[in-house]
Amino acid sequence: MLEKKLTEEILGVALSTGADFAEIYCELTRNGGIRLLDGKIDSISDNTVSGVGIRAFLGTRTVYGSTSDISREGLLRCAASVAAAMGDGKEERSIKLTERIFPNIHPVKIVPSAADMKFKTDLLREGCAAAKDYDEKIVQVIGNLITVDHTIQIANSDGLFTSDRHIRTRMAIAATASDGHENQTGFSGPGRGMGLEVFDLFPPREIGKEAARIAMVNLSAGYCPAGEMTVAIENGFGGVIFHEACGHSLEATSVGTGTSQMCGKLGQKVANEKVTAVDDGTIPGAWGSVNIDDEGHPTQRNVLIENGVLKNYMIDRLGSRRMGMPMTGNSRRQDYGFEPTSRMTNTFIENGPDKNEDIIASIEYGLYARSMGGGSVNPLTGAFNFSVSEGYIVRNGKICEPVRGATLIGTGTQILQDIDMVGQNCATGQGMCGSSSGSVPTDVGQPLIRVSKITVGGR
Amino acid sequence: MNFDNLKSAVAAAAALRGLTEYELYYMSDSSTSVETLKDEISSFSSGVSGGICFRCLFRGKMGYASTELMEESEMEALVDRAVENAEATEKEDTVGIFAGSPSYERTNAPTFAPMNAADLKALALSIQAENYKASEKVADGTQSYAMSAGVNVRLVNSHGLDLSNAYGLNVVYSEAVVRDGDNSENNFEFEEVKDGFDAAAFAKKAVLGAEEMLGAGTVASGKYDMVISADAMTSLLSAFSSVFSAKNAQLGLSMLAGKEGEKIAADIVNITDDPMREGLPAQTFFDAEGVAARRKSVVEAGVLKTLLHNRETAEKAGVESTGNASKGGYSAPVAISPYAFFIEPGETSEKELLALAGNGIFIKGFSGLHAGADAVTGDFSLQSEGFVLEGGKKTRAVKTFTVAGNFYNLLKDIAAVGNRTEHGVPGGLTVFGAPAVLVRGMSVAGKDND
Repeated sequence: MLEKKLTEEILGVALSTGADFAEIYCELTRNGGIRLLDGKIDSISDNTVSGVGIRAFLGTRTVYGSTSDISREGLLRCAASVAAAMGDGKEERSIKLTERIFPNIHPVKIVPSAADMKFKTDLLREGCAAAKDYDEKIVQVIGNLITVDHTIQIANSDGLFTSDRHIRTRMAIAATASDGHENQTGFSGPGRGMGLEVFDLFPPREIGKEAARIAMVNLSAGYCPAGEMTVAIENGFGGVIFHEACGHSLEATSVGTGTSQMCGKLGQKVANEKVTAVDDGTIPGAWGSVNIDDEGHPTQRNVLIENGVLKNYMIDRLGSRRMGMPMTGNSRRQDYGFEPTSRMTNTFIENGPDKNEDIIASIEYGLYARSMGGGSVNPLTGAFNFSVSEGYIVRNGKICEPVRGATLIGTGTQILQDIDMVGQNCATGQGMCGSSSGSVPTDVGQPLIRVSKITVGGR
Repeated sequence: MNFDNLKSAVAAAAALRGLTEYELYYMSDSSTSVETLKDEISSFSSGVSGGICFRCLFRGKMGYASTELMEESEMEALVDRAVENAEATEKEDTVGIFAGSPSYERTNAPTFAPMNAADLKALALSIQAENYKASEKVADGTQSYAMSAGVNVRLVNSHGLDLSNAYGLNVVYSEAVVRDGDNSENNFEFEEVKDGFDAAAFAKKAVLGAEEMLGAGTVASGKYDMVISADAMTSLLSAFSSVFSAKNAQLGLSMLAGKEGEKIAADIVNITDDPMREGLPAQTFFDAEGVAARRKSVVEAGVLKTLLHNRETAEKAGVESTGNASKGGYSAPVAISPYAFFIEPGETSEKELLALAGNGIFIKGFSGLHAGADAVTGDFSLQSEGFVLEGGKKTRAVKTFTVAGNFYNLLKDIAAVGNRTEHGVPGGLTVFGAPAVLVRGMSVAGKDND
């Protein structure tokens, strides 16, 4: 990490051609990965990411420079290149930094990089063995234990000088089932902003069993029929529907440039009144939580939609300047190579008024999406898609035979109105969300919900 | 950072630990990019980063460690970490570190000349101005980008192999937003900047691509004959490219396992993989293990000629490596990737393809390929947009429907191949390309008649 005096000097250089604000982000990250394949530890990756990103603002214009050369000369060169791109003014700016320490609300018990290698490989072995032993038709299991130990330091020309350390751990198991003619896959990958104690919450054998169970269900499933249907979407990663259909359109990245379907709709009813949606980066140990965002702003709980009414957006510093609204602690980036922008943290629909059994019972003919894959959205039009990784036909209020290969598509504004029942078992699922500032960990979540009508892509 | 000093430090640390087979893989990249909003530069960014990966054979196992802290003092710890990781690895390494190919071809790409900041700014602003000129419907939110990015790679190993390569790309992007009343559409285009680049034509393409979708309707669920555009086919090929990896085949994750020599596609389908495809800027003459990279026919007249191999999968299959070892970044373990992976053009013009389809759908693009396409099963169900075809003519724009099928079946069902390929945005040394194709009887989910 950088010395305070050098940091002040770098900020001064970045500001020297007329910028009104400058910021430094310094990172040291240890990424660990253990991969198990065919019952053996197949490879171990172990990488140190180290570098600095320097950003200057003049109004809503930004200049960003990044470098992995963290020598004094390398840093001053980077700051000078930022200043040169900003303008040709000349001013002396002296910056006085004051150290601030924000509370750590995500304490870690077992730091992965300090743990014994055998302890880690045994955890992964346990998960993969449980998947393989689930059924003799499970022909392949790939397991990954992913650990990230991320230390950042952020300083800016407002005088902020702070640092944070964030650790996260995830086990992802993919199982393939085969009947000799075709293959089907299942995936389970829980993670938390925690150390290896996360596996007290998620015993590895349960992760493996869940991946194998989904693969086996899909092996016995026929193709999902195509057409418009009533769909019940289960909790956990089912929340990807809100993430794609609405979440991205509430990020300042699109709202601030006028390219979101949610522009200008604050205070308006944008969803069914049963929908209250929240982005909360403060949930202790959650996958998408951090103490401070990547601009050094503490994360917070933001109610985005309350009883169907749009209440707030997710706003970073640039978005705040563009939109004239306060920052919300949502600025994030994959690493120092990326200029940060507004991103989701842990985003979910809160529990609603309906009993889960009533939701299924209400469907005469439709689809029950028990687990979901990923998806994508065009924030301008709100057109989204996401895939169903485990689905069942619902007939006369009963969950019947499994179906595979379904995709749900629609537009965000429409589906928010069409979520007409909201259940009571809110839970989250973990994802890696990709956008202009790279790939960042985000939680999605919801209770069981019913969408009255949506296009189901099948055949 | 002085690479030769790092190399010496690593050699000394390796010798101390009795390591005789090891490799140092260095990769650095630098990029400069400019972004516009309205009529101004809204953002400018530049970055340089680099890292090294050390891998070594220790008691028959391969250990990896990598870092961006490229200081001589870090090298001893790097070697120690790799040894420790090798000790915990259980898979026996069967191929070790590569001594070198008998000969290497030369790439034919011109030496990369990065554009400077001033030229990038001017270029982005001129495209942005042309965007607004292209139509009255162009709205704020429209953005233009210009970027210059270069990569340097160097591979040295304990057998004395020392290979290096540099490549780069000057590229522009345009994201055009058009508005008509309450209707908004956007469209994204990219193009490599070469001599004779025409900003007006580029902007026009981006704007027209958005404008033609304004007021798009939907289609009824059912089976349709389809012309899949070059763009859409390229994205589909990209989503399913892993089925051509010998590693995936050997793991039971590709239905092409053991199908070499068999018919896997229609007679008119030819697929090649070429690390030095003429006209493409990112080329290499060696792969991530140091094996000579070369052009190969993957599918010829519908017959699978080879899967893509690195040394490990080739050894297991009893064949020669195809030189497709890859690293998805300096720190990644050796894997397998294609280079310029193209479905080669056929003889049918786009007009003839549309006429052959008669009544059906022209697919302009697919979305959500990372989620709606399953490379293990070959199944896909994808959000799509395009045009209704009536009597071989595009009559109206349609969106919010899905097209479902199976990639393995689709390869066999291709009824005609267009005579012009397009390619996607290159990712490192990998780029996909395809012409438009005609496929009959695809499943569509759209609106139902209530």
